[in-house]
Amino acid sequence: MGAAISVTPSASVALEVSGLHKVFPGKRPVHAVTDVTFCVPAGDVIGLLGPNGAGKTTIIKCVLGLVRATSGVTRVFGAETSNHPGRVLSSAAAVLEGARNTYWRLTVWENVCFFASLHGVSARDPAHRRYFEGLLARFGLEGRLKTPVRELSTGLKQKVAVVSALARRTPLVFLDEPTLGLDVETAYELRRLLPELARDEGRTLVISSHDMHVVQAVCRRVVIMSGGRVIADDEVANLLALFRSRRYRLSMPGALPGDAVAGVRSLDAAARIEVEDGVTKLELQLPAAAALYRLMDLLRDAGVVVETIVQSEPDLEHAFLELVRRERERQ
Amino acid sequence: MKHWRTVFAAVLYRDLVMFQRYAFNTVSGLITLYIVFLLIFFGISKFDGGAVVSASTVESMIVGYVLWSMSIAVYSELAWSITNEAQVGTLEQLYLCPLGFGFVNACHLVSSLLTNVLFNAVLLLAAMATTGRWLLIDLVSLTPVVLLTLGGVYGIGFAVGGLALVYKRIQGFFQIVQFIFVGFMMVPLDVVPWARWLPLAMGNELARRIMVGGQRVWHFPVGDLVTLVVTAAVYLALGVVAFRVAERVARNRGTLGQY
Repeated sequence: MGAAISVTPSASVALEVSGLHKVFPGKRPVHAVTDVTFCVPAGDVIGLLGPNGAGKTTIIKCVLGLVRATSGVTRVFGAETSNHPGRVLSSAAAVLEGARNTYWRLTVWENVCFFASLHGVSARDPAHRRYFEGLLARFGLEGRLKTPVRELSTGLKQKVAVVSALARRTPLVFLDEPTLGLDVETAYELRRLLPELARDEGRTLVISSHDMHVVQAVCRRVVIMSGGRVIADDEVANLLALFRSRRYRLSMPGALPGDAVAGVRSLDAAARIEVEDGVTKLELQLPAAAALYRLMDLLRDAGVVVETIVQSEPDLEHAFLELVRRERERQ
Repeated sequence: MKHWRTVFAAVLYRDLVMFQRYAFNTVSGLITLYIVFLLIFFGISKFDGGAVVSASTVESMIVGYVLWSMSIAVYSELAWSITNEAQVGTLEQLYLCPLGFGFVNACHLVSSLLTNVLFNAVLLLAAMATTGRWLLIDLVSLTPVVLLTLGGVYGIGFAVGGLALVYKRIQGFFQIVQFIFVGFMMVPLDVVPWARWLPLAMGNELARRIMVGGQRVWHFPVGDLVTLVVTAAVYLALGVVAFRVAERVARNRGTLGQY
């Protein structure tokens, strides 16, 4: 596809968010974002992960100038949103959550051409035209160029919105909940296509989602948010490794004696203990590797026979839930 | 600055395609306005007890009606299109244009003005043919007068468009304003001289003098022309300022793309 990005990034940092605060005014002011700081190197694919109301969309809109930040600074390729909105928008495009993002009365091709034109990318230029055609083919829309968007399925409509954003050929693209409401197949396709595009075209993608599978499959790094704050900012692999080393599932015949339960709770207050068909299933997170020996000792002392012990293979969903739980406990 | 041409061409093309796809809507709107005109025309005849209505009354009515029709089209394009874009979920995408939403909106206003002129030319011809009163179409004099008159209306449109950005559901207020326009045009300036500073009032008067009285723009008293220019400039400027303030409020509240 050989995309030539319209705005050549001069800085190695695509996005900087520094000390961002947003309070929505009202009778009861809403603190949507509190002291959020992170940066995204050019060419990276990062996920903004968090439950509904975590502040993901607000951050994106503050960066794009659609929402006015209460305080803090956001920069796109060195240009500050508050001082140089035009420069910021020259380098950024977005699919925004909760909006159609396209004209349903227009055809697929008309939408792609129109929204790309807003960034000066015209289909009259043969190179851009070829790029649009390639992009549409990649997303499986090549046979629907003349179809009005209103006649497409939800999944295809979302694909048109994503293509219309990518067609603007900006080096930074925000995709806010790109798989929300999509069927499994379309979501899977997007998960496959997005990293490919980022890799082939050297684009920076910021994907906001509460779909862990999307973020785990697509993003190298993840910024996890809860209650408007960043609670973790690390590579996905590191987060998984953090939890991989200390999470265990054990099965034992019979019910656990009371002293064993108390011992388990002393190691992990949130340990899950379930008895099913006469077998106790225990799942817990150990605070340190050495704690496994303490667990085995206390079970042996209680006369419990451990039948199986498996180190859990955590996914991002597990890491996320654990981090959010800890954050809530901390507060 | 090739970029602005690309945006301008894209908006023009989008509006043309939408115009074609909503052709039924456009034609039915034209027919409705024509029917309303007929009702007013025959109403006036009846009001006069069946006597022949004076030629100048009918001619003045045609001028006023067409200018009102142009005004509500201009006004609704501004206020309604913002509400509509928010409703269909594309407003924020337009705000992502590096040249700014103001530029995209200005392109849309130019394209809608072209449509508006075409639409109302047809209405004017139909009104003249129906009444048998053929008005003077002095484009040299009419163009600046009509554009300046619409300038003030654009100002009101911007202000109401700004309200739409913040409050969204303002259809009731939006429709009431259309009828206030009629009041602005009906005020007799010789009886209520200060009314000349209202939007549309002086424009309507001067357009009537051109189309009915056969005057040329350079025959008008300087004071009348100054009134026309000042009212257009002031209302437009106030409207744009109100829109910018509303934009700021909407950005602060986060309501830009909501409906």
